[in-house]
Amino acid sequence: MHFNFERGLPKLFLVLLLGLTALSTWQWRGVAPISASLLDILPQGAADPLQAFAQQRMQEPLDRELIVLLRHPDGAHASQVFAEQLAQQWRASGIYQRVDSQLTLDIAAVRQQLLADRSNLLPLAVRQQLAAQPELYFQQRLAELFDPLNGFAPVSPEQDWLGLTAKIQKNTQFDSRVQVDSSGYLFVEQADQHWLLLRARTHDSAFSGSVALQVAEQVQQARTTLVAEGGELLASSGLLFAAQGKTQAAGEMQWLGGLSLLGSLLLIVALWRSASSLVALLPAVFGLWVGVTVCIAVFGQIHVLTLVLGASLIGVTIDFPMHYLSKAWTLQPWRSWAVLRATLPGLSLGVLTNAIGYLALAFTPFPALSQVAVFSVAGLVAAYVCTVCCLPWLLRHRQLQPWQQPLVWMQVFLNWRAALLRRVSSGRLLLALLVFSIAGVMQLNRYDDVRQWVSTSPALLQDAQRIAELTGHQPTSQFFLVKGDDVEQLLSHLQTLETHLQTLQQAGDLGSYQSPRQYLAGLSGQPSLAQAVAQVPEHALAPLLAAGVSLEALQAELTVLQNLPERSVEDSLNGPLGEAWRPLWLGLQQGQYAAMVSLQGLTRMAVFSELAEQLAFVKWVDRPAELNQLFEQTQTHALWLKMLASGVIFVFLAIALGWRGALRTLSVSLLAALAAAACLGWMGQTLTLFSVFGLLLVTAIGVDYAIIVYEGVGGAATSLLGTLLAAVTTWLSFGLLALSSTPAVSSFGLAVSLGLVFSFLFAPWAARSTPSAA
Amino acid sequence: MKRWPWLLCLLLLSSRLWAFDNEQLAQQLSAADVVRGEFVQEKYLRSLAIPLSSRGQFVLSKQLGLLWKVRQPFAQTYRIDAQGVSLLADNVWQIQPGQNVAARQSRLFLAVLQGDQSVLEADFTLQLQGNAQQWQLQLLPKAVFLQQIFKVIEIHGGALVERIELHETQGDRTVMRMLNSQADSALLDDEQHAFQL
Repeated sequence: MHFNFERGLPKLFLVLLLGLTALSTWQWRGVAPISASLLDILPQGAADPLQAFAQQRMQEPLDRELIVLLRHPDGAHASQVFAEQLAQQWRASGIYQRVDSQLTLDIAAVRQQLLADRSNLLPLAVRQQLAAQPELYFQQRLAELFDPLNGFAPVSPEQDWLGLTAKIQKNTQFDSRVQVDSSGYLFVEQADQHWLLLRARTHDSAFSGSVALQVAEQVQQARTTLVAEGGELLASSGLLFAAQGKTQAAGEMQWLGGLSLLGSLLLIVALWRSASSLVALLPAVFGLWVGVTVCIAVFGQIHVLTLVLGASLIGVTIDFPMHYLSKAWTLQPWRSWAVLRATLPGLSLGVLTNAIGYLALAFTPFPALSQVAVFSVAGLVAAYVCTVCCLPWLLRHRQLQPWQQPLVWMQVFLNWRAALLRRVSSGRLLLALLVFSIAGVMQLNRYDDVRQWVSTSPALLQDAQRIAELTGHQPTSQFFLVKGDDVEQLLSHLQTLETHLQTLQQAGDLGSYQSPRQYLAGLSGQPSLAQAVAQVPEHALAPLLAAGVSLEALQAELTVLQNLPERSVEDSLNGPLGEAWRPLWLGLQQGQYAAMVSLQGLTRMAVFSELAEQLAFVKWVDRPAELNQLFEQTQTHALWLKMLASGVIFVFLAIALGWRGALRTLSVSLLAALAAAACLGWMGQTLTLFSVFGLLLVTAIGVDYAIIVYEGVGGAATSLLGTLLAAVTTWLSFGLLALSSTPAVSSFGLAVSLGLVFSFLFAPWAARSTPSAA
Repeated sequence: MKRWPWLLCLLLLSSRLWAFDNEQLAQQLSAADVVRGEFVQEKYLRSLAIPLSSRGQFVLSKQLGLLWKVRQPFAQTYRIDAQGVSLLADNVWQIQPGQNVAARQSRLFLAVLQGDQSVLEADFTLQLQGNAQQWQLQLLPKAVFLQQIFKVIEIHGGALVERIELHETQGDRTVMRMLNSQADSALLDDEQHAFQL
């Protein structure tokens, strides 16, 4: 039984359409499954679960915390009033876990912790002085009691005659430019300007739902209001960067996608001069839809970067209807199903080779590339199915009478080419091309940086930088991961690392560091507090006795200090004083104790990785460097995969076209990619992971063109015209991508644009026989 | 009947003249460029029968800040100015660490002595009683943060500040008495020198 194309295919398509509608309705039922998180499309990398846990711990606050510095022209009080109103509005919006305009320090809780944690937190120097020079210690203590400005300590002297709590407090205070005023407002003073600090933390991470966009809008509103009053507002947060990325990607997708659609539309109408030819856009739209749906089905969500690259897929998916419709130039009168039968082998081979080219990329370790690959394969196959099933049916009663002039131009081009070939042989041209290409490729530099993957607005960066300058906080994403068999060993490992870090600090390679051991100062070194106190002789207490303190009170305190109930490291970290150090302590993880040491103000990265190599128990975690290295590996990996894919494509082509035809079509496309790479080299462009990806795409598209020309349905000029139309529509989308503000996307666009030009120019060489000037 | 408005006017006017307000106090306290005198500071701790007391001399300069020279039980000299608190050691001013808190506290102390309303009003509700010759100013902390430390600060004085009492929330209390305070128009040479060591 022969399958009836004319009835079966449209029905088949209808079934697909219904299924797709159901699936995508279900996918988009709640929050839009779009992700803007770079983490989602970067390889998980850290094979070590401990390191992954540590990285997550460091990243988490960045994705949720918002820092605002604001300054009202009427001074500190006006700033406070403004901040208070702002905090109220933001709290009312319900997206924040907390909005802090004032430090809400519970002094009673601080007092309680200071007394309970005297043993865990007292610095070594104090304990040593108590043990070695008790007389001097108590003389100084008496002087402290008489200090005219010592009346503000949270713990009253009668609870702490030895004055240990003040020394602990001093050790836990940061050397920061941020100050606290007596109402608890945090502020920075610089050049006679009073900046108020406001901190907020959202319930959800920057990459879930619309939190980031809401925060960005709130910040923008506050900024507008304050600027109108003559003030200034600076804001910094991962949330703002995420919002900007999302907005920009969506915007770019809209205008790039829209422009490419409009361009294709105008082109179609101008050439076929019939409204019904606009059905050529259906496969593109259908392809996009399927691409998005399949991507979400496979990955759970779709990344904005995929969406931007995917939107340009319109240009590739439209190739199928272009090839099909271009046959209207010669195959007259137009018989839609007959033309399909003639072009079906070429189209099918085209979609197969294209899909193989993309699929190869799905096997790279980069989720980003896998997503684009899956999106593209699904989109291409869908566009092909739509072209085959729908177009002939929709156009079955139409007569297409295209504008004849372009066909004449193609003929002129072919004649010109034939004239050229009469003077210079193909072999010589090939040689010249190879020389040009090799010279160009040799000038290519490979360069990859994860920062190319996002385009960050200068305004956001400037704000972040000014906040860093004002507050003196410049967090880095790099950190040390330190391990030990037990708490004691971990602390001693931390101390060893700190000794090295202090050397680097003196050398100017490091601004400052933060280690949980600095806070847990009481747990390292001898004597312990109990030992130090046990050695204090009674006569050393004389200065305090002379001031009227009773011996019983002092002895009672000494006894308490020797028998303080033991508190765990976690107890001490969970107290109000431990807030800043809490996230750095990872505790017991897979049988080992672990902690992190964070750094500020790094100048040379290399010294830190070298340091980690010297110390067996320390790991230097530098995610950006790790990723950049991975990019290079992936480039190589992708090239190998492409070679493999080319081999597979060759086999398929050889089955369909014979090995000569396969060699012809494949080498034309590979040469086009090579020439494009050479052009990038001559232009001084660097080869990024994404431009490599673009070149790989070009080989897939190039094979497609070569097959159409090789098949030559309707004559050489018509086939070439079909190729030109396909190239122009593809270029309309990919060429426009070169305008994207995301460096990775624009380098992709440039590589594809160049490749398309060469694919078109070289396509005639794929023809079965030397084209005759008919 | 016609006299009523006149009488009302007179009453209003006279009460304006008689009432001693914050502004006048501030003017009165900042009139002198230099004030010098002696002080006695007593810290009353709940568990001590006798207060911890220290005494010495002070010099308050409108421009340079405060010199606080403790003579008993130790000799120790402090300087308080916009930068914070410094301690004189080996004839050099050493700025005290922990600048954040200390600078804030010292500014408050200076503001009390100089009657600087803008600094005080930011953190405290001011209640003034009495007249120019004998007045009492109560400072009640506004913010919860400060309320956890101070119950009230009381300042007594006449032409100049005479007594400052700090009542801490925990029950301890500090009393500073300024004795034999003298206003002057300029610093003596050695005082000038001491400020700028």
